[in-house]
Amino acid sequence: MSNYPEIMILDGAMGTELQAAGLPLGGVPEVWNIEHPEKVTEIHRRYIEAGSQVVYANTFGANRLKMAKTGYPLQALIVAAIGNARAAVLTSNNKNAKVALDIGPIGRLLSPLGDLSFEEAYDIFAEEVRAAKGADLIVIETMSDLYEAKAAVLAAKENSDLPVYLTMSFEANGRTFTGTDIDAMALTFSDMGIDGIGVNCSLGPAELLPMVKRLYTATKLPIVVKPNAGLPDPATNTYNVSPGEFGAIMRQMLPYGVRVVGGCCGTSPDYIRELVRVVREWEAERDAIPAAQDNTSAGSGFYPGDYEELTRERNTRPTGICSANKAVWFTEPRCIGERINPTGKKRFKEALQNGDMDYILGQAISQVEAGAEILDVNVGLPGIDETEMMVRVIRELQAVVDVPLQIDSNKPEVLEAALRIYNGKPLVNSVNGEEKSLSSILPLVKKYGAAVVGLTLDEAGIGSKAEERFAVAEKIVSRAEAVGIRRENLQIDCLTLTASAEQAAVAETLKAVAMVHEKLHTGAVLGVSNVSFGLPNRDLVNATFLTMALQNGLTLPIMNPNSEAMMGALRAFRLLMNIDKNSLAYMDAYRDYVPPTAGGAGAGSGAGTAGASGAASAKSTVAAPSGDATAADIASKLGDGAASLYTAVVRGLSAQGTELTKSLLTTMDSMDIVNGVLIPALDTVGAGFESGKVFLPQLILSASVVQGAFAEIKEHMRRSGGETVSKGTIVLATVKGDIHDIGKNIVKVLLENYGFTVVDLGRDVEISAVVEAAKRTGTPLVGLSALMTTTLPSMKDTITALREAGLPCKVVVGGAVLTPEYAVEIGADYYGRDAKATVDIAREVFGV
Amino acid sequence: MVELKPIRMEEAARYLGYGGQMPDETILALMRECEKPLMEACHPAYSVGIFDMECCGEAEVKLAECALALTGKDIVNHLVGCTKVALVAATLGSGVDTLLRRLQKTEMAKALLTDAMAGAAIEQICDDIQAELSRKMPLYRQTWRFSPGYGDLPLSLQEELLSAVEAGKRIGLATTAGHMLTPMKSVTAIIGLQDMTKELRKVSTEDGDALSAPVGACAAGACAGCAYHDSCLSRQDKTANETTDAEASDGGKHE
Repeated sequence: MSNYPEIMILDGAMGTELQAAGLPLGGVPEVWNIEHPEKVTEIHRRYIEAGSQVVYANTFGANRLKMAKTGYPLQALIVAAIGNARAAVLTSNNKNAKVALDIGPIGRLLSPLGDLSFEEAYDIFAEEVRAAKGADLIVIETMSDLYEAKAAVLAAKENSDLPVYLTMSFEANGRTFTGTDIDAMALTFSDMGIDGIGVNCSLGPAELLPMVKRLYTATKLPIVVKPNAGLPDPATNTYNVSPGEFGAIMRQMLPYGVRVVGGCCGTSPDYIRELVRVVREWEAERDAIPAAQDNTSAGSGFYPGDYEELTRERNTRPTGICSANKAVWFTEPRCIGERINPTGKKRFKEALQNGDMDYILGQAISQVEAGAEILDVNVGLPGIDETEMMVRVIRELQAVVDVPLQIDSNKPEVLEAALRIYNGKPLVNSVNGEEKSLSSILPLVKKYGAAVVGLTLDEAGIGSKAEERFAVAEKIVSRAEAVGIRRENLQIDCLTLTASAEQAAVAETLKAVAMVHEKLHTGAVLGVSNVSFGLPNRDLVNATFLTMALQNGLTLPIMNPNSEAMMGALRAFRLLMNIDKNSLAYMDAYRDYVPPTAGGAGAGSGAGTAGASGAASAKSTVAAPSGDATAADIASKLGDGAASLYTAVVRGLSAQGTELTKSLLTTMDSMDIVNGVLIPALDTVGAGFESGKVFLPQLILSASVVQGAFAEIKEHMRRSGGETVSKGTIVLATVKGDIHDIGKNIVKVLLENYGFTVVDLGRDVEISAVVEAAKRTGTPLVGLSALMTTTLPSMKDTITALREAGLPCKVVVGGAVLTPEYAVEIGADYYGRDAKATVDIAREVFGV
Repeated sequence: MVELKPIRMEEAARYLGYGGQMPDETILALMRECEKPLMEACHPAYSVGIFDMECCGEAEVKLAECALALTGKDIVNHLVGCTKVALVAATLGSGVDTLLRRLQKTEMAKALLTDAMAGAAIEQICDDIQAELSRKMPLYRQTWRFSPGYGDLPLSLQEELLSAVEAGKRIGLATTAGHMLTPMKSVTAIIGLQDMTKELRKVSTEDGDALSAPVGACAAGACAGCAYHDSCLSRQDKTANETTDAEASDGGKHE
């Protein structure tokens, strides 16, 4: 009798078998469930007779979108499919064979890659699951989008009690089409309560072997492998691996946690027969080895050489978190960026209140560029709907940055909404030792398979002694384990107190970190920067405290990655602890390092000097050779500094533009800079664009300079509490059905340059959302963009809706396929030929 | 397999509205800066299916063993004289979309340039696919690339075209509700294949009669694998010393 459960044998290809039976390329296989049930049943029966213990019902594409054109109700196609498979079981030689509901990709990409929302994807999968009466298990397969796979897993788990298996499809580079790798798949799903995880389709067994080995180290779940019969010949569509070769390579995979096997495209009952033979032979050999030798099999000759090493890696690797495309393992200290948080940040609060996503995204991107490997996301602010804002910010963030996120809120409803739509495995920040927190937050962490930060405080507050905090940590760990959260997924925060207020407490925090690290074996988190609050030269205190905490076992410092002192301390720690092998990361970071010289008596004066010389050189390169009348004119009216800024804009010199604006702001009024320098400069470039002398990239480059200048001006006005810079609000949208929005974004940048406030509704915008925004803002001008002829009707409908709502706004339309005539035909007030023309229209409408 | 080659900057410049001119040095330098991240974000892939034309009505073309029916007069005109059709789906992959999204949030000028360069890249991939097709089927002349949405060929055929070449499974290409391709830097095309053996003419040489293709009829790069390579008068791959003065003035192309 074996100590191991028997390896489960799945079936082989359905699609290629149906094609062999006469299904044309591009035909809908699921229709055959009703039109040719006998052929489908026969394919299932042949697989069972070949040894398949599970057959996948012919439901791979049975979703409401793909089946819409077939004329058959979805429910009928799925019921017929399961009925055919069941009929095959009952007429075969194995009445115990199981029938799986097979769920494949929807065929549309989820936002932001495509236009399908996560919620709609969930509904589509839930409908399939609910229709699958009589299935024994659910298999979700051939997924290439992690987000879609997550929607499917949630739909399966929430709408049935059947076992759920997930396999995704990877390309030869080890990633799916949407960029997910094995690690991200393993992290996302290993703790979501599924029964098996693995790979299918896209490649043959030889190509999948290294991925299976990797997966073995990244998950403790049973592994599922269902490869193609090799690679297809593009001309003949035939596959290049024979049943014998297929079996031989599959056999090599079996040691690496593989518990469920079958074949995908190009495989047939012959492949399954051979697979059964090698699997059972392998099992017999394995069971013949005495148990004592099992995991330390060196010398037994049964397990391959790398098995032992990979097993060790598997058993010692702590967990991690991930985005769809990037896994971050908690194997070494990682920087969590703290800047997406309104606490004590006036500018950030404003951004949240105004829904200014660009500012928030800018904060995210700059932290990632500075070296943050995880971003904390906290959007709690009185007066805003935290749940709605958290969901919105996470969606926006995961569309543009690839680092995983730490969801920072103590409200269960905010956390649940965020956990649901998060694409990957997040870190929840946080649960604490209070009963209310433990009982509401831990179940969410468990359900969504997340990692969680445990704060060492409870009803009694924060213990002043390390031992008290450690006791709370122990309580959190035991409560988490009681609901089924693995200890690796816990990260304990021993709480940093402020040295200026409670100097003696710093040592207690460090001691608690060490205790957690040594006795609880969880990871440790600390918000590092709190320690220096109220002190001068905070960077020095922060960096020193960071080093001390790391030495005591801190793994996840929450810190400001833009602080060179702190990032430097983290880099140096990694180097000194032999984590940064061969100092590669360190050397890379300081490749161009220039030591500060004794003469550079402070960063401030240094930058000032650079700015001044930059201005001088800009001036000399401009006015003279170009003989530009406007530059000379500005120089005579507003001085050389203004003329230099003018020239920087005309020439598209971003860095200079920002520096020049900074220094001009000390002598010139903000609005004078805007109206006297920036706008005339843009007009000069715009006129060149209109006459064909300047091309779009140059126009946008100039616009970028103005963007940088505006950021400085706004910051200056914020500090001095001056009047607003806005010349009025314009609503922009790329219409419903259209996802190409670069044109609209160009118009946005230029409008903002001219001092307009743009409410950007994004792309594929619902008609009602445009009407609502026009109403809410009371804007006199709405801009609509469409790239394709097919979305022009949607543009027309949007205009009609705006008119029917009785809104007084004018409408300007633009886009590659529009003509002035068509603009009139669909009821627009203006045709914006290009970005510059649209700005001119806006100036006319607003009279500025 | 397709390989990503250095971006054709002059092509990208054309998309940016430069006509035949090249951008100034500032913009060119910026384009070169954009090239590396773009190349890293690109994972080009394609799927091609070759089908026999089964019947061709006045406004419909049917393909053998394929569920896709091409409708409209324009596609019929496009495929006049063809016996086979190549359906092509190609993409740069979703990484480019992500890159463009990020650049639009941070550096609009680079976003604009990268967008145009990605456009040039996907066209280059399509050119390479056609060259590969020429090598494999040297005796077929190819039409230009016709896509759903051109003329009266409905854009809504996009989904069926993709499933005819299994583009979802093979290259991760999908459509939106409005039949737009996602990832966005993708192309689908219908290429007609005309059997040139029907047009070969007999020519007399010193060694007797041989067959030759009509001058200028064959696709670029088709000569190397052609069965009539040695006798053909229209060969495009002759070396300079093979070329007589008379032929040189005849418009023979040289690599």
